[in-house]
Amino acid sequence: MERSKKVQNQRCIIFALIYGATYLPATWVLKHRMVGQPFSIIIALVPIITFSIFIFSYIKTFLAMDEVKQRVQFEAVVIGFALTAMLLTLLFLLGLCDISNPTWFGYGQLVGFCWLFYLIGWLISKRKYGV
Amino acid sequence: MKNTIKVERAKKNWTQADLAKHIGISRQGLNSIETGKFIPSTLLALRMAKVFNTTVEILFQLEETEQ
Repeated sequence: MERSKKVQNQRCIIFALIYGATYLPATWVLKHRMVGQPFSIIIALVPIITFSIFIFSYIKTFLAMDEVKQRVQFEAVVIGFALTAMLLTLLFLLGLCDISNPTWFGYGQLVGFCWLFYLIGWLISKRKYGV
Repeated sequence: MKNTIKVERAKKNWTQADLAKHIGISRQGLNSIETGKFIPSTLLALRMAKVFNTTVEILFQLEETEQ
């Protein structure tokens, strides 16, 4: 039981790494316009597929966790979502006043901020429950 | 909420890891419950009471301010 949980955990981390390994090169290839438009669409879809597999694996891992760890993940996601929504709202409102910096706050950067906020939530929750 | 998990554990001479294994949670998770940082579900509380051969009311009690 404990071993299968560990295997599931490792699988989830591997899928997260695969997602990262497909997202970054795909961004680089698309940014430098190295391929034609039809092929660009296929490249753009690859990280989405790996992300879907990662999320599926994350949910499976979440279901196998004990209730304390589930609470930690739940709170991390809530904090991550709330902070991301807050940032999006702020950027939208600033965009209305023509104050925006797409270099730092483009769609690509928002993905990074979303993960950063999740990480902050995870650390806060871990500290709160002492796990 | 206060609990008597540590006392019950001592009676059985069990470590946190032993109890965690019996009720199917992680040791860190059990530590969080034992120190009162996390309040377990009814299912887990009942499972814990069963392994100690006691009742949930003995294992978990409300603080005076919570009553």
